[in-house]
Amino acid sequence: MFRHIAAGTLAIGCLGISGPALAAELTIRIHDIPSGGGQIMIAVLGSEAAFDGKEPAIASLILPATASEITVSTSALPPGSYALRVMHDRNGDGEMNSNLLGMPTEPWGFSNDASGSFGPPGWQAARFDLTDQTSQNIRLNH
Amino acid sequence: MLRRNLLRLPAFAALLGLAGPLRAAVSGLDDFHQALEKRRWLLAFRSVPEFAYEADARIRGRLPEGLRGSLFRNGPARYEIGDFRYQHWFDGDGMVQAFRFADGGIRHQARIIETNKFRAEQQAGRALYAGFGTLPPDPRPVTSPDTTNTGNISMLAHGGSLYALWEAGSPWRIDPESLDTLGAHAFSPETRGAPFSAHPRIEPDGTLWNFGYSSGAGMLVLWHLDAAGRVRRTGLVPCTPMGMPHDFVVTERHLVLLIPPFHYEPDEATRTFMQAHRWHPERPTRVLVVDKADFSQYQWLELPAQWVFHFGNGWEDGNGVIHFDGARNVDPLEMIEGFARVMDGESYTGSPTRHHRYTLDTRAGTVREEPMFEADMESEFPVIDPRVSGRRNHRLVMLSRSAAEPHEHPMLDSVTVYDADRDRATRFRYPAGVVPEEHLFVPAPGSAPEGNGWVVGTALNYATERTELHVFDVEAVDAGPVASAELPYALPLGLHGKYVAA
Repeated sequence: MFRHIAAGTLAIGCLGISGPALAAELTIRIHDIPSGGGQIMIAVLGSEAAFDGKEPAIASLILPATASEITVSTSALPPGSYALRVMHDRNGDGEMNSNLLGMPTEPWGFSNDASGSFGPPGWQAARFDLTDQTSQNIRLNH
Repeated sequence: MLRRNLLRLPAFAALLGLAGPLRAAVSGLDDFHQALEKRRWLLAFRSVPEFAYEADARIRGRLPEGLRGSLFRNGPARYEIGDFRYQHWFDGDGMVQAFRFADGGIRHQARIIETNKFRAEQQAGRALYAGFGTLPPDPRPVTSPDTTNTGNISMLAHGGSLYALWEAGSPWRIDPESLDTLGAHAFSPETRGAPFSAHPRIEPDGTLWNFGYSSGAGMLVLWHLDAAGRVRRTGLVPCTPMGMPHDFVVTERHLVLLIPPFHYEPDEATRTFMQAHRWHPERPTRVLVVDKADFSQYQWLELPAQWVFHFGNGWEDGNGVIHFDGARNVDPLEMIEGFARVMDGESYTGSPTRHHRYTLDTRAGTVREEPMFEADMESEFPVIDPRVSGRRNHRLVMLSRSAAEPHEHPMLDSVTVYDADRDRATRFRYPAGVVPEEHLFVPAPGSAPEGNGWVVGTALNYATERTELHVFDVEAVDAGPVASAELPYALPLGLHGKYVAA
């Protein structure tokens, strides 16, 4: 499903959806990835309910955090509204680690660079329309 | 897994303590520099022209033999980026200084603290983030407290490490030799990024107690570290609305915090952290008393509305009665207005800060207060001999000024030592043109607690445009300095420091 452009390889992972006939191309560039390894975890969310965790993600992807930026693309998603959630699982435990106040202690980012800086980021801030050619640049906050 | 684990992510943004849409403010840079020509005391708030300093001080008099070690100091120092000037004193990037006493001389070093904020703004060439009291044009989002953590309040030497402290985020570890910034420090994975106040208190055995506050979460964090800097325990105490506590009191058995009614109430008009707060003089100051042995055991008491930046010390008798003292103001207007006006080159007249003593009966659940000095004595920066922290102290060192005397500037101008045994305060008033900064009680090596020692403090001489350091005999501060030092440059007014014996 995803093409890892940075590495020039194809089909990193496909999580259970088949490409529809009218596919659009989504390119995701994740930057400001701190050094030190770990893995980048991307969730593709197709609705507000999914964004709020009430429905499953359409797809998720795990990539090794080997460079300060990573670009992936996919043609498997139908045109529509989506949001992306990204976390850098630095210690590789598969969890979004947080401190005693519940604040994330690992880098994270959203589509549109929605940050929730002055209030929590919501679906409206993070959603974007996927048309035939769509790019998302996501800065990791840390 | 990803979906589930990211669920908590949005919730944390509310912890940051900021809200509302963004609008750039107008910079007062030109106003300040014009005013500086007329009001030379504004050198106290001039942005440092350099990010590193190093020089030998010129010594007058003779430094005491036993004074061997380093005075580390911190404070906001860089207020301008390009043509933008911050609008509040507390927004300045921190600068760490070391005054190293050796062989009768003093070597001085200063370095800007290279926080995440400082590095990002250097790279961008402009101010990027909403701070304590400033919103720059076209700001970037503040995604965690450490995004805007300037580390600019105080120093901590503990467990073999040196730290620069802010109050709402991580400590910055500083190389004690080079003063290089080594990075944001986490005492443990669970406490990474958690608020750690600028006023931890260290017991004679090296045990450290601190608190932190998260306004958005409405939560106080309590810290107990051992002498090596390992987390022994943490605790959370819900506190809504939060009220910007800056310092606290530690006795042998209790922690005491005053939560002033400067309440965190962000709304659509909120631009900065300070603006998210509203002063409620009709509401009480809440007093939190926590059992050191069990953070879940606490009680809330009340005092009239008041603002206390700093406490001197706290101790308790065997009957559950806690005694403590603090620099009490009737309101935080000096911080809200005064420390903003000076950034635009204006003067201000704040409500006077008067030192009070407090008596808190943990069994009866009562607390009362009374002023310690005559009404015309204003004071701040109270400190004690660090060897009696949390135990009964007999000496109190503070900066002061007399309302009965004329003043050229709005800052304090004297250093006062209070002798509790004789109920007597002695004072040295600096000459015109000299603004003292925090003065510390430095024990003489081998002396008994509160026995021999010196009062050591820095000052800005805006008449000569030099930063100075002065050493007094703690028993005769009114006789003036026994030795003084002068740097070949003037640095802006700082906040707090720590002396570390060699």
